[in-house]
Amino acid sequence: MTRRERLTTYAVVVPFAIFLAFPFYFALVTMFKTNLDLANVANAPYVYNDAQGNFHWDFWNYATTEHVRFLFEDTNYPRWLLNTLLVGAAVVGITLLLALPAGYALARLAGGWGQSAGILIFLVYLVPPTLLFLPLSRLITQLDLKDSLWALILVYPSFTVPFATWLLMGFFKTIPQELEDAALIDGASRLTAFYRIILPISLPGILTVVIFAFSLCVNEFIYAFTFISTSEQRTVSAGIPTDLIRGDVFFWQSLMAAVLIPTIPLALLYNAFLDRFIKGFTGGAFR
Amino acid sequence: MLESRRVLAPLLIAPAVVFMALVVGVPFVWAIYLSFTDAIGGSLSGNWVGFDNFTNAWHDDNFRRALRNTLVFTLASQAIVVVGAAVLSNFLVRDFRGKWIVRFLVVLPWAAPVVLSTITWLWLLDSLYSVVNWSLAHLHLDHGLVWLLGAVHLEEGAQVPLQWLGRPNLALLAITIVHAWRILPFAVVIFIAGRASIPTEVEDASRIDGATGLKKLWYVDVPLQLPIALVAVLFGIVFTAADFGVVYILTHGGPFNSTQVLPTWAYAIGIDSGSLGEGAAISLFLFPLLVLVSVAMLFFARRAQVS
Amino acid sequence: MAEPKDELAGASPTLSRGDLLKRGGAAAFAVSMFGGLTDKALGFYGPLKFAHKQLAGDLRIMTWAHFVPAYDQWLDNTYVKQWGEANDVEVKVDHINNALLYSTGASEVAAQSGHDLFWFISPPATFQKQAIPVNDLVQEVTKKLGPMSRVARKATYNPKTKKFYGFPESYAPDPVQYRKSFLEQTGVSLNTWEDVRKGAPKLKALGHPVGLGMSNEIDSNMFLTSLLYCYGGFIQDEQNRIVIGQGANRKGAIEALKTMRDIYRNGMSDEVFAWTAASNNQAFLAGRLSMALNAISIERSVEQSGNQALSDDSWLAAIPRGPHMRLGNEHVMGVYLIWKFAKNKEAAKKFAVDQQLGYREHFVRSLYYNFPPWTGAVKGGFKTIRKLCAQDSHKPKGKYTVLATIAERYTTNPGHPGNTTPVMDEVYNTFLIPQMFAEVAQGKQTPAEAVSGFSKKVQGIYRKWKAQGLV
Repeated sequence: MTRRERLTTYAVVVPFAIFLAFPFYFALVTMFKTNLDLANVANAPYVYNDAQGNFHWDFWNYATTEHVRFLFEDTNYPRWLLNTLLVGAAVVGITLLLALPAGYALARLAGGWGQSAGILIFLVYLVPPTLLFLPLSRLITQLDLKDSLWALILVYPSFTVPFATWLLMGFFKTIPQELEDAALIDGASRLTAFYRIILPISLPGILTVVIFAFSLCVNEFIYAFTFISTSEQRTVSAGIPTDLIRGDVFFWQSLMAAVLIPTIPLALLYNAFLDRFIKGFTGGAFR
Repeated sequence: MLESRRVLAPLLIAPAVVFMALVVGVPFVWAIYLSFTDAIGGSLSGNWVGFDNFTNAWHDDNFRRALRNTLVFTLASQAIVVVGAAVLSNFLVRDFRGKWIVRFLVVLPWAAPVVLSTITWLWLLDSLYSVVNWSLAHLHLDHGLVWLLGAVHLEEGAQVPLQWLGRPNLALLAITIVHAWRILPFAVVIFIAGRASIPTEVEDASRIDGATGLKKLWYVDVPLQLPIALVAVLFGIVFTAADFGVVYILTHGGPFNSTQVLPTWAYAIGIDSGSLGEGAAISLFLFPLLVLVSVAMLFFARRAQVS
Repeated sequence: MAEPKDELAGASPTLSRGDLLKRGGAAAFAVSMFGGLTDKALGFYGPLKFAHKQLAGDLRIMTWAHFVPAYDQWLDNTYVKQWGEANDVEVKVDHINNALLYSTGASEVAAQSGHDLFWFISPPATFQKQAIPVNDLVQEVTKKLGPMSRVARKATYNPKTKKFYGFPESYAPDPVQYRKSFLEQTGVSLNTWEDVRKGAPKLKALGHPVGLGMSNEIDSNMFLTSLLYCYGGFIQDEQNRIVIGQGANRKGAIEALKTMRDIYRNGMSDEVFAWTAASNNQAFLAGRLSMALNAISIERSVEQSGNQALSDDSWLAAIPRGPHMRLGNEHVMGVYLIWKFAKNKEAAKKFAVDQQLGYREHFVRSLYYNFPPWTGAVKGGFKTIRKLCAQDSHKPKGKYTVLATIAERYTTNPGHPGNTTPVMDEVYNTFLIPQMFAEVAQGKQTPAEAVSGFSKKVQGIYRKWKAQGLV
């Protein structure tokens, strides 16, 4: 790249990065603020100030980890993180279990109507979710899953499976038929061929599905709110707004910490797998 | 026997289909049924009332505003997303020092659970403690911005400090930006994928033909990226039009119900107020339109791809 | 305010006092001593008159996350445990954010399964078909404690069906909380709304505006309805018919809208349109506001804030008087529903009744946030309540005394002078009242247009719930 190209690149990406990351930067600052510091309107929001609102260069001495401690010791936050992880993992598993065969069948075996299936699958996302939780809640109760993470594990694949199927279907289509045929001729069954040949090649696509499905699970909150009323069984998205906004009080610093803590490892993870994610998309979604 | 396509295909598809029918199909049909009844207070049955719920909703100006807002938020935020993603993806594929950290910062909004990141925005735009306003004031931009908002007739009569969630048009703007903010990273990723899917031969050919800059962008990049852009937009539309959390957390539909969207209004009527039938009707209002738009876009995406 | 006797008399023709209620109350709940607030001071350990096992089973209670966290802790870890032991019932209490109570309730109804006792922050009139009437419990408690206060009765009784669809657990008055020094500096009085209208610009000039919300949140809902009362602009009449569009009510409402528009234009800023339920607390805590209306949560937060100067300057007062009257809505009306499908109705009933009979402890533990619907639950009634409030140890001493007066004389139910109906419930949950006020304040509508539009909307809602047979 020429010097000019490099400069333009920075001139574009840096403002974008600032815009996208600013809320998190500010959350990072806020989570260590003392109550008095936070409550004083005259104080600069970006730094830590003493009780009189004055700034000192050793500003870290005027910050506090009390609100982070509160989050971990006086709420069920660690449990919510764990629950989110468990639900996410289980849902990803179920999603793959359902979507891999369906995607394969639509790509390879279904023939003409496999084409239209892509569109049909997408329509599932258009079903408005706001009120669906009511009829679903009856189903959940009849299965005796109320207040259990299993309720979420059962319901969440409803919005991960269609996308996963759609993406994998596209991905499988990009794999040359000859590869599979060769295996079939060698006497392997279709399932063996799928397992030995198709699956390894499809890893980028599968990874894309994993990341996407997981992020959808972390985001969901309406079902998480309504199917689970016990604090210990909640996920992050449901537990934080419920337990850290009490009556007329927002626990701002703890809220900020609660947002930041799952976000950073997830962002690291997404970033690490981004190239493969992109490859998964390139191979899959657009065929 | 397992080798026969006629047996194997349905067998492999069946689990997914059965599951979806049970967990999405049944509740959806039920919601449609409820929208034609006078069911109240969470009860899953009621008396048949025909299209009353739909006509009642239609004659309510709050509903119409919610409908309009849903369309506005969706279209405006997706317009921002498409432009932003097209630009950003174009530069993010280059190699530059610090690329890793920039990419990390860019994917942050996507990694954050949406309810929680919206709470962060609520704090950024707080009526009293808004860091956005603090920064504007200390950069001496606040009065200028208020003047500008008045001059372009976006928000007349606004005051310093700006109440991002207290003035109707400002609140529309704030919500649009938050939507764009949270969808943008995902769109960028898809756009990068789209660029990667352009065969290198095309790149080479266009280079040989001497197509550069805008010309190349318009004649080569845009058409080739179109299908993929449509997919990104489609996801964006679906996630924005059906979103409940952003409006619910930021404004609760206020000021004076001027930022209600269909999901929040359906919730206010159907759940909080107990008029379940009417709430169901409200939430279903956009369904036919969304179906039409999506089918058209998917169809178009495929056509664009084939040609 | 006169105590209308009609409803209670017609409420429940046949009252059977079950074993349940005979066992309940006094014995197990020997009234605890105020002052000795250690857990052991509670009188749970008295001998049971009746054998164990009569209520055996599980009792699941859903309630909000109380704004006084210490109250929740005491409730969960001490009160509920001891009640459970005394009654041989395994009790589990779930707390959720109050904004989620309705959706969780709806989901339990849809599932026809859930908690045995479900607490709502406002009278959940829209759920009344799903709950068992509690006339017998009301009658029972009334026998022991004397009459239920008007505000609680009007909030939970449906004259159309002649049923108490919910059991009132508590209510919180909605006092003015103000900064004495700012008022003194400016010479502004909060006695009448006219005083506020005139004084608001002075307070704004001082840099400490009044904080009267017009946003889509509960504080605005409650306060703005109160303002309508003060100006005689009632939404419904005593028969729960919608009357705000006509005659004196329309005039009153228009005057209230004009007042609010003036106060906003001359004495407040845009912030009041952007508020969440927590914003007036935050702005008061920040030292910005000279006055706000809220439950005593503001005052309590101020005391805990560590800002002593602010705390010493913060006082409570009754809502200013309007041309028509001085009257305010309750801020919170805690109501228990017992679902028709509840598994352990007997235990739920006994819990609700027992709690009420010993409500003094809850009143004190909630730091005077929760007032008892049966004033007699605190022996000596409002006299004792006033004394307790006056004894609050926080400075400035005596600031809570007025709270008893507010609760006794100036607190009513949403929907005054009628009942809290599903119509009122929907009006609140769709924020039509803040909408009307904010549209006028921001100049989008004239007061007359706004009242007409509001009236039309409420009439539509009324027709819907009339068709359901609930009004």
